[in-house]
Amino acid sequence: MKPKVAFFDFASCEGCQLQVANLEEKILDLIEVVDVVSFREVMKEHSDDYDIAIVEGSIQRPMDEERLKGIRKNAKVLIALGACACTGGLNKLRNKWTVENVKEEVYGDSDIEGNPLFDVHEAKALDEVVKVDLYIPGCPINRDEFTRFVSQLAMGRTPRLPSYPVCVECKKNENQCVFELGQFCLGPVTRAGCNAICPTHGEGCDGCRGYLDDPRMDAQKDVMRKYGVTLDEMMKRMTMYNYRKEGY
Amino acid sequence: MDGIKGLLKMKTLTRDKWQEFVNELIAGDEREVVGVKAKGNRFHFGPLEDASELRLDYDVTILPPKKELLPQHEELLSFDISRSFEVRAVKDDNRKILIGVHPYDLRAINMMDQIYLGEHIDEHYRTRRENTLIIASDILNVPERAFCASMGTHLVDEGFDLLVTDLGDRVVITEGTDEGRGLLKDHADAEEATAEDVEAVRRLREGLPSKYSREVLVDQKEWPSLLEDNYDHPVWGEQARKCLTCGTCTLVCPTCVCYDVDDEVELDMKSGSRKRTWDGCLLKEFTLVAGGEIFRESPLERYRHRYYRKGVYLPKRFGFVACVGCGRCAAQCLPDIADPSEIINSIHSFSMERRKELPVPKVEIKGIKEDLLVPKSATIVAKKRMTDIEVLYQIELDSGEELDHKPGQFVEVSIFGVGEAPISISSSPGGRRFELLVRNVGDVTSKMEELCVGDKIGIRGPFGNGFDMEELSGSNMLFIGGGCGLAPLRSLILTTLENRSDFRDVTILYGCKDPEAILFDDDLSDWKERKDVEFLQTVDTCPEGQCWEGNTGVITTLIPKVDLDPRDVIAVIVGPPVMYRFVINDLKKRGVPDENIIVSLERRMKCGVGKCGHCQINGVYVCLEGPVFRYSDVKDLPEAF
Repeated sequence: MKPKVAFFDFASCEGCQLQVANLEEKILDLIEVVDVVSFREVMKEHSDDYDIAIVEGSIQRPMDEERLKGIRKNAKVLIALGACACTGGLNKLRNKWTVENVKEEVYGDSDIEGNPLFDVHEAKALDEVVKVDLYIPGCPINRDEFTRFVSQLAMGRTPRLPSYPVCVECKKNENQCVFELGQFCLGPVTRAGCNAICPTHGEGCDGCRGYLDDPRMDAQKDVMRKYGVTLDEMMKRMTMYNYRKEGY
Repeated sequence: MDGIKGLLKMKTLTRDKWQEFVNELIAGDEREVVGVKAKGNRFHFGPLEDASELRLDYDVTILPPKKELLPQHEELLSFDISRSFEVRAVKDDNRKILIGVHPYDLRAINMMDQIYLGEHIDEHYRTRRENTLIIASDILNVPERAFCASMGTHLVDEGFDLLVTDLGDRVVITEGTDEGRGLLKDHADAEEATAEDVEAVRRLREGLPSKYSREVLVDQKEWPSLLEDNYDHPVWGEQARKCLTCGTCTLVCPTCVCYDVDDEVELDMKSGSRKRTWDGCLLKEFTLVAGGEIFRESPLERYRHRYYRKGVYLPKRFGFVACVGCGRCAAQCLPDIADPSEIINSIHSFSMERRKELPVPKVEIKGIKEDLLVPKSATIVAKKRMTDIEVLYQIELDSGEELDHKPGQFVEVSIFGVGEAPISISSSPGGRRFELLVRNVGDVTSKMEELCVGDKIGIRGPFGNGFDMEELSGSNMLFIGGGCGLAPLRSLILTTLENRSDFRDVTILYGCKDPEAILFDDDLSDWKERKDVEFLQTVDTCPEGQCWEGNTGVITTLIPKVDLDPRDVIAVIVGPPVMYRFVINDLKKRGVPDENIIVSLERRMKCGVGKCGHCQINGVYVCLEGPVFRYSDVKDLPEAF
């Protein structure tokens, strides 16, 4: 029997699900391998009977947490889809300010008191709320990586993310290093798997796939200093997709 | 350079005629023409569409031309997993001409040839290599970080089909091979080079060394001994602290040729392929084995390994220092710590003189005739569960041949779509059936558990250096097995017992974690009963709910119980990495000399034929010189235990 798959979204642009919807003719192969029972972007039907939950977005509110816990309970495998789900992504940038400050900045004098839709806490990645079995990171995700994960799961393999940095893919693409082009790049500390798409198009890596398990941050900072990157620029870039209070 | 043989066979083309020649090659449909072109404000090798794109004035390309012979990504096999065993080798037999290869890169290609076309021939590489003609080019401009002149790689006199020297209005061509000569004859109307042209070429070559601003102060013949004197030099730690471990230095290096292999399956769950991709020893998981152990984990060890591979291990194995001074690593390393000339010079200026021999044991390697990377079809003929995580399989090759293995050797088991895993052979040689004990620790081994009798798997091998039965015969034998280390050891024990009269005393010590982890029950009871075998067994602990009446304690608790003449015994140890140190220590305390201890080591044996680089322990390939080693041969290798 084909495993049943359901897609869910929390705070996100839903662009990662759009990447899946954009698989085009491969989506026909995909539905041969799995039975998609819920996917709001492409179908009307919904079912709570699923084996694999693919969840996009970060967690903002107690009601999100409850919903996510419910999904976790139903699913045998929970996959975090995209940067927001994997690291909290851009959404986490707001954790720089207190919840009160954020509310005031965004909603001003509007009457939101007591409305559960606006009852936000700090932005969280999925794994700060529930156990996540697999991560498909990126902003947006890489479609080839997504199909690799699906095919490996179908083969009974445990899909693994690369443990090496973006530089490996960048060098294989024979790019001129963007540092040489006067830009700066988080490629040396960021997990590969995107085929170095940004540096290949002349843009420094923003670290959207999250950092390696043991990133060489000190060496990376030395390099950025050497190329004249200011501390402010450095911190902005390093926390863009990977914000944490204690900094880097 | 009067030594350049080609001086005698030089031809000249005017610039226009040279362009016409290149354009005719491009227009012809016999071969794809790949040449040096601009890429941003750097250069790269790419398909030429017009001769005007060719930039013989380049300094160095971002990636070396190795990518044309061993591409970044390459399909090795294609298969259909919906059928029981359908696999074929994919060979890229695209005929190519490479134009503009600089002398240092040509040297590097010669080195690759020795690695890939040595005792074990890599057919995928060979196919590409034989289909590639090389039009080399004399160096006109020198990149800032290169130090070719001090490596003697700024000039070549062989290895090319044609060698061009761009003199501006004229291009002088040195003929290297008959094929090159034919190419020129068929597509250009070249004149004999005049004395003036020959003189201009000579001057250009002679003036080249002075263009290099960097040099290595140590002759490359001295690199191995300088490095062996400085294994613990502070420079490794100082530099490694700055290292991003991003792998750039290895990826852009013309002599770094290690690779990884993985299977991919299309979403149709039918067609798939086995792909090879570049890998590098600076990357953390390069030495990761299925059990989770990483054998060269720290950035320092990885950083140092690259220099030792180039400066000690490959020179000892092949006779060449695997650095051609192109400077790509130096120029592309962001923290700027990858420059071999700087490292060698700095060690030279402050040598520790603390010798650490890093020998490469000489083992007779029987070249494999068939296509190395193509698994043979085999069938599971019996399957027996041994423990929760271990299953014993009996396998037969579908060709009807015997595996023809030695005790201690291993095979690579393929499950198409999942990958390959090295598994040691548990049965004694002879007969069509062989046995593999498989522990479920990774994707391949867990998939294998799902397979049933009658299912097909792929087998490559046998690989590696097994136990030398002739040498062991006549000895008192002490076998010490820990955990699933009994699997390879069993092959040797069974062979010994089948030829019992060739040996004197036989003692077997076997230890495992707990009673439920005990393997090969039937064999153990046989050994227990035999009068001509002393058999002692232990478990580390006996958890509640399990039943055990024998010795409890780690394997070393058995050693004092054995009555042995330490000078007259061969001790064979196979077990998990942590066991070796303790067991060897106790044996040495008993007075067993190092030469009488034999071990079998586990590493990430991926290719099985000494090319992919993953199983390397200092200069030793476990898949070639091992997994069976005499302890005295490897005990001084810092990475061994």
